Amino acid sequence: MTRLAFVVAAMAVIVLVYLWRVFQMQVLEGSLYELRARQTVQRVEPVFAQRGLIYDRTVQEPVATNRTSFALTLVAADIPAGQQDEVVTLLAELLGRDRGGIDARLRSTRRGSFQPVEIASGLTLAQINGVAERIDRLPGVSWYSKPERIYPDGALLSNVLGYVGDITPQELQILFNEGYTATSILGKSGVEQRYDQLLRGTDGRRFRVVDARGRYVGEDQRLVAPEQGDDLVLTLDRRLQDLASQALGSRIGSVVAMRPGTGEVLAMVTYPRFNPNAFAGPDGQQAIRALSLDRRAPFLNRPTQAAASPASTFKIVMSAAVLGENAFSPTEEILCTGTFPFGNRVFNDWLEYGHGQMNLAGALAQSCNVYYYTMGAQHLSVDQIIDYSFRLGLGTRTGIDLGGEVEGLVPSPAWKEQALNQRWVGGDTVNMSIGQGYLQVTPLQMAVMLSTIVNGGTVYQPQVLREVRNPVTGGILQRNQPVVVRESGIDPEILRTVREHLRGVLTDGTAEVVITTSAVESAGKTGTGQIGVEGQFHSWFVAYAPYGDHVPRSEQIVLVVMVDAVNEWEWWAPKAANIILHGYFRDLDYDAAVADLRRGPRWLWYM
Amino acid sequence: MAMVRSRSIFELDLYIAFSAISLLVIGIMFIFSSGVAATGQVVSTEYLRQILWASTGLVIMFLITFTDYRIFERTAVLLYLMMIVLLILTLMFGRIVNGARRWIGIAGFGGQPSEFMKIALLILLARYYSNRLGRARSLVVFLGGLGLTLLPTMLVLLQPDLGSAMVYIPIFLVVAFFSGARPAHIGFLVATGLLFLLFTVIPFWQEHLSHRALPAVGVLTDLRALQFLLAGVGLAGLLAGIGLYATRRPVFGWILYSLAVVVIATPMAFAARRFLRDYQIMRLVVFVDPYIDPQGAGWNIIQSITAIGSGGVAGKGYLQGTQSHFQYLPAQSTDFIFSILAEEWGFLGVLLVFALFVVIFVRSLYVMVSAREHFAAFLVAGVLALFVVHFTINIGMTIGMMPVTGLPLLLLSFGGSSVWTALIGLGLVMSVYQHRYQY
Repeated sequence: MTRLAFVVAAMAVIVLVYLWRVFQMQVLEGSLYELRARQTVQRVEPVFAQRGLIYDRTVQEPVATNRTSFALTLVAADIPAGQQDEVVTLLAELLGRDRGGIDARLRSTRRGSFQPVEIASGLTLAQINGVAERIDRLPGVSWYSKPERIYPDGALLSNVLGYVGDITPQELQILFNEGYTATSILGKSGVEQRYDQLLRGTDGRRFRVVDARGRYVGEDQRLVAPEQGDDLVLTLDRRLQDLASQALGSRIGSVVAMRPGTGEVLAMVTYPRFNPNAFAGPDGQQAIRALSLDRRAPFLNRPTQAAASPASTFKIVMSAAVLGENAFSPTEEILCTGTFPFGNRVFNDWLEYGHGQMNLAGALAQSCNVYYYTMGAQHLSVDQIIDYSFRLGLGTRTGIDLGGEVEGLVPSPAWKEQALNQRWVGGDTVNMSIGQGYLQVTPLQMAVMLSTIVNGGTVYQPQVLREVRNPVTGGILQRNQPVVVRESGIDPEILRTVREHLRGVLTDGTAEVVITTSAVESAGKTGTGQIGVEGQFHSWFVAYAPYGDHVPRSEQIVLVVMVDAVNEWEWWAPKAANIILHGYFRDLDYDAAVADLRRGPRWLWYM
Repeated sequence: MAMVRSRSIFELDLYIAFSAISLLVIGIMFIFSSGVAATGQVVSTEYLRQILWASTGLVIMFLITFTDYRIFERTAVLLYLMMIVLLILTLMFGRIVNGARRWIGIAGFGGQPSEFMKIALLILLARYYSNRLGRARSLVVFLGGLGLTLLPTMLVLLQPDLGSAMVYIPIFLVVAFFSGARPAHIGFLVATGLLFLLFTVIPFWQEHLSHRALPAVGVLTDLRALQFLLAGVGLAGLLAGIGLYATRRPVFGWILYSLAVVVIATPMAFAARRFLRDYQIMRLVVFVDPYIDPQGAGWNIIQSITAIGSGGVAGKGYLQGTQSHFQYLPAQSTDFIFSILAEEWGFLGVLLVFALFVVIFVRSLYVMVSAREHFAAFLVAGVLALFVVHFTINIGMTIGMMPVTGLPLLLLSFGGSSVWTALIGLGLVMSVYQHRYQY
């Protein structure tokens, strides 16, 4: 009888323990398993939103658009153990890609994960068809349409537009809360990066139920529709951009064109450039890496990211300071002998035997160094020069809506003390008076400076975004208004005088022989920056047109051309400006503008 | 005599009959469910075959019920020998199904002898012990019964059919236990078996799960270390033997007993590791942690547990299970029928099935107690053991408390041989009940 009791007890224990275990699984932790069951059978796929298109200010053809392409995903859990190698090899063969890349993508997921991982993108329909034919040997492989970014103009606007790419794990770490996922496409630079939130739209989701072999079962696919990203209209003028980039040609440097009355950027050219279309597809990463190693820095947006000595173009700031501070009478003359002894140094003029008697207008027109040396040494304090530099927008970021802008450098005694641990000497002020020494400006800052002179004293923030438009209706969602950074506080009459002097540069000054265009009356200033290497100079030209007090602001443009010292074509900046002004105001493209200029009125040698 | 017989016809054990038929119906329902694909199509006709086997099995059950069970006592040796021969024939000519040579037959008619061997074995053991009533405590009788059990065990292990082999020995243990065998003998066998399993798994556990090498495990894997271990244990045994001889104190007896368990289990485990196949090893390893190999050996356990757990209290509804209909659950109609039931009917369905099995267990115990002779009682004990072991191993496997061994859940799982075996067993129980007043 005790044995019977023992067996009954043993049976009772088994039944009760099992019952408790099932109770625990189904009732106490049921929801946990339910979730797991749902995750097991449900696959979520992104339905990518169409990224917003980008237009230039004419809103005709988009400068950034999308093309249908496909991405391939793999669910690691669906590959039977030991077959992974086989699957990857076959995929690499079908896609014609390196299997190392696929392996790397696959390694980023946990073995046995049911979460699909993207292993290749930018695929054509033909490639997908090839995969589809062999799908029985490719367990866990699936695909979806993933729009690919295309830039119809290639490299032309790359420095402004930027490019897009797959989000990196590091970027995801930062942007996780903004709604990005591991499969997101992200703007990596330029407008694409700055306005990513507007352009990206909202990705949709497709929920599908799959069986153990990854086959789709059931018709009920739940679809959360994607929301298309907003279209952007830029302030840039594609034709002017094209003209300017051809005028600059294959010379390292930059061109900026801007509306002085609003801060709208009409053209922003850099050279060398990159072609963002090369970054799509399997060799994209390699292309990016190769360009990153290029010593000429094609990723550098020189107008905002490369600062250099402004050279003689800084004399515009000096003239404004002389007039504004009543430091020296504009009619009084100074004798330029070609040399300026100061302390134990002798500063030279670029014209060996001097310009003779010079007043302020003449000094600017002839770019007389000795006159400005004298101003810096005897009539203006360094603090006044610094003050006018900052008032006109130098030494600070312009605030343009593109990332990575540098602020340049307006040196000061305090700065020198701190950075170089040297005392500021009078020679530093003399050097700074002709835009040499430690002074560093970006071409865009020069455009802002000249715009402030032209518009009567308001520093505007340069902008590249003009409008945000609804992608479906085309309605304007947002219209960008000019942003005032500061009022310079310089008397408009003084600025008018400076403008007259700038006109003098073109009528009977240093640029007279170069700016031959009859299309428009312009005013401006040349600059040749020493970089310490014999025979090599930065070539600057800053100008605006049309010249005149009664010209509507909305027709004026400020143009800055800067050609880097590494180029052998000295003096190219004013020549390029001549072509750009002629082409822009005659509405001609580069070739026609050059041909037209060759016809006269004055003949000038062009490339 | 005629009076007694007629009364017993109407006093059929309705509890067992009702439970068995209910379980068969539920089983057929879920075999049908498992044959429904995600698209709603019925892709398997297994349920039709199961209906055939269940109805013929019920006929056999009732035939046996109204047959005097004592005929089996007389034919026990013959049945046993027939099944042994069939097992040998299966090994030689059987059809290979899922990597094991289990099925034998002619022109589509046939079955798995390893299933029917369970019945033949329990009948023979009942007879063996009922003939040795006073001597059940002797070691010789115990070893004799063990020998009768080990012969078919070895034969099915060669197929290989680990599940059936795991049923034979418990049947023997339960019958021996009820017939009065010494607990020390049974305990020795159980302890050796458990230690053997433990020693078999530990090196694999170290290899697959533990990231550190445990020096102690080397004793089990290194042949030289094993020799030293056995020599040490032998020396200790010798000393304990001397102690026992000199002092006659029982503590030395227990030391010898424990040492013997180690001496037998360790080399057996060593040998078993050589003979176990990879998939069998992995089944043992994933029992500890199924996520070691989620696509392979661990898949069954993970999917089964997920299916059961996601069933909740009331289940997802008949034919609504996702794990099962999307083919995530393996062997849904056979080994994992309980999982699909638990998924679709939830905890309430599980309670129902447990209740029906408990009725069979309790009624069998009642029949065993009310039996008028020892052969009958041992016979019922054997059938009870058969049902309890299948229940324990199969359901334990689906809820992750037992290793995956591929043993059907009697009456519910698809399979002609197992349904017939279960119904023959219940027929024997009901026959004992039916003939309890007949002499």
